[in-house]
Amino acid sequence: MNDSSQAHSNIRDPAGTLAVALRRITKRFPGIVANDDISLEIKEGEIFALLGENGAGKSVLMSILFGLYEPEEGEVWIKGKRMSHFSPREAARQGVGMVHQHFKLVENYTIAQNIVLGMEPVKRFLGGVPLVDMKATNEKIRDLSHRFKLDVDPLQLISEINVATRQKVEILKMLYREADILIFDEPTAILTPQEVDYLLQIIRELREGGKTVILISHKLEEIKAVADRCGILHRGRLVAVKEVAQTSTKEMASLMVGREVILEVDKPPARMGETVLKVRDLRVLNRDKVAVVKGVSFEIRAGEIFAIAGVAGNGQTEIADALTGLMATASGRVFLLDEEITRTGVRERNLKGISYIPEDRQSYGLILDYDLSYNLALKNYFKEPFSSPGGRLRQEEFSRYAERLIEIYDIRSNRGGGSVVRSLSGGNQQKAIIAREIDQDSPLMIFVQPTRGLDVGAIENTWSQILKEREEGKGILLVSLELEEVMALADTIGVIYNGELLTVKAAKDFSKREIGEYMMGVRKDA
Amino acid sequence: MPSFKKSRPGRFLLHRLGNEKWQWISIPLLSVVLAVLTGSGVILLMGKSPVDTYIGILQGAGMLPKANYAGGTNMLTDFMSFLDAMAPMLLAALGVTVAFKAGLFNIGISGQMLFGGFLATILVGYSDLGGLVAKPLVLLIAGASGALVGGFIGLMKYRYNINEVVSSIMVNYILAYFISFFIKTHYINPVSRQSEYINAAASLTFKGVALGGVKVNVPLGILLALMAALVVHYLINKTRLGYEIKAVGANRKGAGYAGIPIGRTMVTAMMISGGLGGLAGATYYLGYFASIQPGVLSDLGFNAIATSLLGNNSPLGVILSSILITILDKGATFMSSKVGVVKEISGVITSLILLFSAMGAYFRYLIAKKQEDVKSENREEMGE
Repeated sequence: MNDSSQAHSNIRDPAGTLAVALRRITKRFPGIVANDDISLEIKEGEIFALLGENGAGKSVLMSILFGLYEPEEGEVWIKGKRMSHFSPREAARQGVGMVHQHFKLVENYTIAQNIVLGMEPVKRFLGGVPLVDMKATNEKIRDLSHRFKLDVDPLQLISEINVATRQKVEILKMLYREADILIFDEPTAILTPQEVDYLLQIIRELREGGKTVILISHKLEEIKAVADRCGILHRGRLVAVKEVAQTSTKEMASLMVGREVILEVDKPPARMGETVLKVRDLRVLNRDKVAVVKGVSFEIRAGEIFAIAGVAGNGQTEIADALTGLMATASGRVFLLDEEITRTGVRERNLKGISYIPEDRQSYGLILDYDLSYNLALKNYFKEPFSSPGGRLRQEEFSRYAERLIEIYDIRSNRGGGSVVRSLSGGNQQKAIIAREIDQDSPLMIFVQPTRGLDVGAIENTWSQILKEREEGKGILLVSLELEEVMALADTIGVIYNGELLTVKAAKDFSKREIGEYMMGVRKDA
Repeated sequence: MPSFKKSRPGRFLLHRLGNEKWQWISIPLLSVVLAVLTGSGVILLMGKSPVDTYIGILQGAGMLPKANYAGGTNMLTDFMSFLDAMAPMLLAALGVTVAFKAGLFNIGISGQMLFGGFLATILVGYSDLGGLVAKPLVLLIAGASGALVGGFIGLMKYRYNINEVVSSIMVNYILAYFISFFIKTHYINPVSRQSEYINAAASLTFKGVALGGVKVNVPLGILLALMAALVVHYLINKTRLGYEIKAVGANRKGAGYAGIPIGRTMVTAMMISGGLGGLAGATYYLGYFASIQPGVLSDLGFNAIATSLLGNNSPLGVILSSILITILDKGATFMSSKVGVVKEISGVITSLILLFSAMGAYFRYLIAKKQEDVKSENREEMGE
């Protein structure tokens, strides 16, 4: 549904109501067309959502708008001006600002220092030597944050503030640079429901203040809640632009994936068996010897999905790392199938029956420079048949095994088992990890953020795999920041706050609101 | 550069370079060609002939015949001497390569060479053992002592998180001064100001062998070095240990997640690396030379880093880069006396080769992009 008639007519936009016009943008990378003839207009003062699966071309399109890539074909117009030989610096000058998914902040600088970085107010010492005028900076930032109702303390260090505040700092960074076209890349991925509500409110207020907002997101609910219009990308093409008020989330989802999606989970009642994992008073210290997990106890039975809900950084990743042996247990005991594994090494735990889908796929779950076949055998390479007793690798066994998993789990790559994993899309990298871990056939499976960054189709797929493992009688520990996910999958939910499990209850006894309150540490059980 | 893309040779070149199957060799070759061309520019600026310079270097390294030879020597003499010099370079570069695979930077090869060479010299070099016992013993002692130093650096890294670059440089100097002290107090030859020459039985190079009417030095080291390259290639690419070393090198966290014992793997890799360094020391101090200059760390141990990089950190690639770097190094002196270009030009060309090889990934990207362009042009020409 390319609006090509409009693109050809070469409108100059005399009224100046268009913030951004992209005309017939095509961007190719070796092997793929990332953006295929995309024409798009974004009006001044609207909230425009850009929706699409992983690899649909959203980030590339935004990078073009931000001047990071030059398109092979097509034109970029900003506020009625055609941009040529465009750079990020030029984009910033035209008022385009971006809040990246992964914040780009200097940890040991203050909020104010981070905001002005690169554009510091300067005072002259002895009439010549330029110095950063910190006093003026702090005042300026205080004013700015009041004006946009984004209250922060300019003197606080980044390392001392939480994720939501960091995001405010990123937003202030754009505002300080007087950006009026603001791009948000997946801004809610790491926030609690309450924080999400607050952020959406901020975005609305930015629009009231005359800013144009472009929101990149997977989350249909948010788009529905805040956006005016929504452009949907599928495989590099813009398939539709919808007025959000006149469409349903269901329609948006199916346009995005190119087929009907059912994110309704068909979850049969739990058939729980014996206890698979028993954790008693687990304490874990971080590198600075500070307790990050403070006496956590729980049990997981066969056929049960036990979910730990919580805001990022409250100790949930450390629990998973301690259970798998990646982090040392300071005190407490861990039993797997009634056998104590508190002091057992990583490999031995793997062999005894723990599968682990880690949160950070690229630094833990995969060796990116290894090919797919090597990665799929990452936990078995040292055993027969991959390795001879003398320590020689049997390449053909790696290939055969890879072929089998690729077939079963539909892992897509350009060269099958021989593809370097770095070249796989995020979704397929995750598929590879899940395939490997499920194929271990372990009685305990630990999933940490299994659907982070995945699109609706892949989420649906992952969820059904997790449920299938539950049916197979595996004990499953699910650590997730996504409440939707926790609510959809869990049989039992424990909410973690500041290293403690505040409450553990059957999932059906919880409301979403209630979990949210525990996540913020507002409610405490007696 | 549309004209480039349209031109026949341009397309031919693009096609050749674009073949990914051969890029492991075609890209380094491209770097060497570019370095030689740029080096020619430098030589021209000095008012000398690049062709003469390069010929002079090749002659000096025994690759091309010289106009005349001193009595009892010919091109074979030079060539064998070149092989003699290449053996320690290849071994040292392999040492660097193994450490690189484990994600470690073994800058201490020089120290490991010296330690291995020194212990082999005093334990075997001055003994009365016969050649059949002495030579294997030299290799054993040098290899083991080098491995010990390498392993120590690996252990410091893993156990106390001491950066291997820092510790290996410090170990280099500690060894150099200790060994200097012992040589000066016990083993010094007052005339040469070096350690006493070792007995011929312990030497890994047969000196002054009559061969085809001339005298040549026959290095055993080069056989050892080539065998070592094959063994390292097999070890890195075909074994469980190689899988673990590369995994630790590519992603330490990921390796830990997979249950690979990181510390043990790092220490093992550093022991192999240091062992190769020790062997390099044996072929250097008890082969190419027959004595040790006190208080000096060999340049070779540092140049080996460059050689390893140029060889793309692959054991077989390192064979080729050792040949190249040794030619430049070995041929420079003769070239300088014959052509009159300062011999440091070799260093310039070596650095240029490194500079261009460091750009390998960029070349690859550029070629892929150009190919894409040509393809889309072709599509357009065919009227889609």
